[in-house]
Amino acid sequence: MGKLRRHLVGFAFISPWLIGFLIFTAIPFFSSVYLSFTRYDIVSAPRWVGAANYATLFQNDPLFWKSLGITFKYALIAVPLGTLCSVALALLLNHAVPGISVFRTIFYLPSIVPVVATSVVFMWILNPQIGLVNGILRNFGITGPAWLQDKNWAFWSLVGMSIWGVGGSMVIYLAGLKDVPVHLYEAATIDGANPWQRLTRITLPMLTPVIFFNVVMGVIGAFQYFTQAFVMTQGGPEDSTLFYALYLFDRAWRYFDMGYASAMAWILFLIVVTITGALFKTQSRWVHYGS
Amino acid sequence: MAVEVAPQTSNLARGMRALLAAVGVVGLGALLLAPTPARRTYPGRTPVRMWHMWTGEWKDVVDKIVGKFNDSQSRYELVALSVPTQGADVKLLLAAAGGDPPDVMAQWNPVIPTWANNGLLTPLDELMTQEERDRFEREAYPIVKKLGRYRGHLYGLTIGLNIHACYYRPDHFREAGLDPDHFPTTMEELVKLGEKLNRFDSGGNLSRIGFLPKDFRHMAPLFGGGFFNWETGDLTIRTEPNLRALSFLTGERKKLGFANVVRFESGLNTGGFSVEWPFISGSYSILIDGQWRVEQVGKFAPNLEYRVAPIPPPAGGRTMSGWSNGNFMVIPKAARQREGAWEFVKFWSGLTQPERAAEFYTMGGWLPLSPTIAAAPKYQEYLRKYPQFRTFLEVLPSENIQPLPPVPYQVFLMDGIKRTEDSAVRGTLSPEEALAKLDNDLSREQARRKEIGYAE
Repeated sequence: MGKLRRHLVGFAFISPWLIGFLIFTAIPFFSSVYLSFTRYDIVSAPRWVGAANYATLFQNDPLFWKSLGITFKYALIAVPLGTLCSVALALLLNHAVPGISVFRTIFYLPSIVPVVATSVVFMWILNPQIGLVNGILRNFGITGPAWLQDKNWAFWSLVGMSIWGVGGSMVIYLAGLKDVPVHLYEAATIDGANPWQRLTRITLPMLTPVIFFNVVMGVIGAFQYFTQAFVMTQGGPEDSTLFYALYLFDRAWRYFDMGYASAMAWILFLIVVTITGALFKTQSRWVHYGS
Repeated sequence: MAVEVAPQTSNLARGMRALLAAVGVVGLGALLLAPTPARRTYPGRTPVRMWHMWTGEWKDVVDKIVGKFNDSQSRYELVALSVPTQGADVKLLLAAAGGDPPDVMAQWNPVIPTWANNGLLTPLDELMTQEERDRFEREAYPIVKKLGRYRGHLYGLTIGLNIHACYYRPDHFREAGLDPDHFPTTMEELVKLGEKLNRFDSGGNLSRIGFLPKDFRHMAPLFGGGFFNWETGDLTIRTEPNLRALSFLTGERKKLGFANVVRFESGLNTGGFSVEWPFISGSYSILIDGQWRVEQVGKFAPNLEYRVAPIPPPAGGRTMSGWSNGNFMVIPKAARQREGAWEFVKFWSGLTQPERAAEFYTMGGWLPLSPTIAAAPKYQEYLRKYPQFRTFLEVLPSENIQPLPPVPYQVFLMDGIKRTEDSAVRGTLSPEEALAKLDNDLSREQARRKEIGYAE
C-alpha cells in the first residue's frame, strides 16, 4: 500500500507534464493515424475515406514526389556538409592558443540566434541587388546570381546557409575531442605517427560516436526542414525549395486538408524511422565505442 | 580538497541566486508593464466580438469605426481584436471547431467558398430583412455581389473593395518628351510608351522601369479571358484569351530580361503598404497598383505629381477590366451574437445608412459597396481631396471586373495561377505548357476532391 501511495505521489508530481504530454503530444500523434484515413477540414467531423489519401499521394501528386526529392537531396547534401564543417571547426578550435575561447564563442553564437532572425538577415545577405554577397562579388567584377530568386540557386543558398548554424554540433564535437584519452596520442607520437595519421587513426575513430549522434539528429532535422524555406522562399521559385514539411504545412493550414496532411506526416515519420534504423544498423561498421 | 570546493560551490550558488533574482525581476516587470487587454467601455451592453487583421495605421482606422459604432448603440458593444495575419484563418477555424469563434470577422483572404462549403459561415442573406436584400441587389456594385457569394448565398459583405489601375508620373512623361495628358488607350500603346520611359545605368542595368505588365489575374480578364464561367460555374483555364494574356506577360518580361527585372526589383521595397512604395521614389514611371495607394501618397508624399488611369485593354480585349479582391465581413455560424454582428456589418458597410458609412470608406481609402455611398457628401469631399481616386470609381461599376473563381479550393487555385505565371515568365515552360499544367493540376485536385466525397 505504501509503495502504491509512493507511486501515486510520484505520478502526482509529474502529472502537469504527463497531462500536457497526453493532450498535446500522445493523443494528437495517435489521432493523426486515424485522420490520415479521413478527409478532415477542422470544422466538420472527419469522414472516413479509406486509403484514398495515401493512394493519391503515391500515384497522383507530383508535388509530393517533388517535395520528397528536394528533402532527400537536402538531407544527402546538407548533413554530410554540416558534419564535415563542424568537425573541421572543432578540430581547429581544439588548439590551446591564446583567446581560443573567444573564437569558440564567435563560432557558437550563430547557432543560438533564432532561425527566423537568421533567415531574415540572410534574405538581405543574399539579395541580388543590395545584398552583402553580391556586393563583395561585384568588387571582383563578378555579377552574382539572384540567389533566392533563382530556381537554380535557391536550394543551394539554403544549403549554404545551413553551414551558418554548425556551431551547435561543433560544441558537441569539441566535448568529444576532450574525451579522447591523451595516452593514445602519446603512444602514437612515440611510435612516430604524424599529425595526419593521429587524426585519421585516433581522433576521428574516437569521435565516431559523436559523429553518429550528430548525423542521426541532422538527418531527422533535415527531413523536418521548414522554417528557413517558409520565411525566405515559401517554396519558390518554381517549387525549387518546396521541402516536404512546407508542402505538408500548405496542405494542412492553407488548404485545410488535414487528412491528406496527416497521411503525409505519417509517410514522413516512417521514412525518418527507416533511415534512422538503417543508420543504427550501419554503426557496428564504423562507430567505435571502445576507449 | 573539500575546503577548496566549498567556497566555489557557495560562489556558484550565490551566482545562481542572483541570476534567478534577475530573471524574476525581469519577469515581474514584463508582467506589470505588459499591455492589458482592452477593457469594456460599456459593461452593461451585450458584447459583440470582432477579429480583424489590420495593424498600425489601419488598426487606428478600425478602432475609430468601432468607436463610432459603439457611440451609436445602446444595446451592443463591439470589442475588436487585431489578430496576426499569418495565423488568423487558422485561429478562426480552431475557435470555430472549439465552439467559440468571434461573432464577426473582417477578412481579405480568399476563404469565402472554402469556409461556406465547410458550413462555417452564416449566409448573410438569411440575416437580411427583405428590404435589405432588395436594397443590396438593387444598389451594390456587380463585383460586390460576386465577391461574397457562394452557391447562391451571400456569405461576405464587402467593406472596402480593391481595384487596380495605372499610376503614372507626368514628370517622367515630360522628361521623355511624351504628353501626360494623353494616356494610352490600348495595352499595345502602353507597352510602347513604357519602353520610352525605361532607363538604364552606365553598366546597362535597369535604373527605372517605364511599364512592366504583371499579374496573370489582371491580364486574363483584360485579354477577354478569366478563370471562371459565371454562367456554367466551370473553371476556364486553357482558353485562347488566357493564352494570349500569358504569352503577352511572358513576351514583355523577356524584352527586359527576367534576371534584369529580378535584380532591379530586389533592390526595391515592392511589397506591403510601405512608405517606400517605389512609385514614389520614381523607380517606375507607370505602375499597376490598388486604390489604397492614393491615400498613402496623400499622407507620405503629398507633393508628388501623379495621375491614375484605367488599365487599357489590348486590341480585342475588355475595357475596365481586371481582377479585384476586397475586405469583407463574415459571421461564423457558431457566433453567439449574430444579430449584434449583423448590426455592425450593416453599420460599417453602409447597407442601410450609406451617408453615414461614406466616412468610414474614406478613412482607409476604400472603395464603397454601392454608388449611393459614393454619391454621399463625405465621399464626394474625399474625391475632391484626391481627384486621382475618381478613376477607381469609374472602373468599379464595370461588369468586367472579376474576383477569383468561387470554388472551395480557391487558395489552391490561386497558388496554381501564380505558379503558372512564374514558370512561363521565367521561361521554364511555354505559355501553352504552363496553362496545360495548371489545367491538369486543377483537374487532378477536382478528381481527388470528388473521390473523397466533396461536391466540388
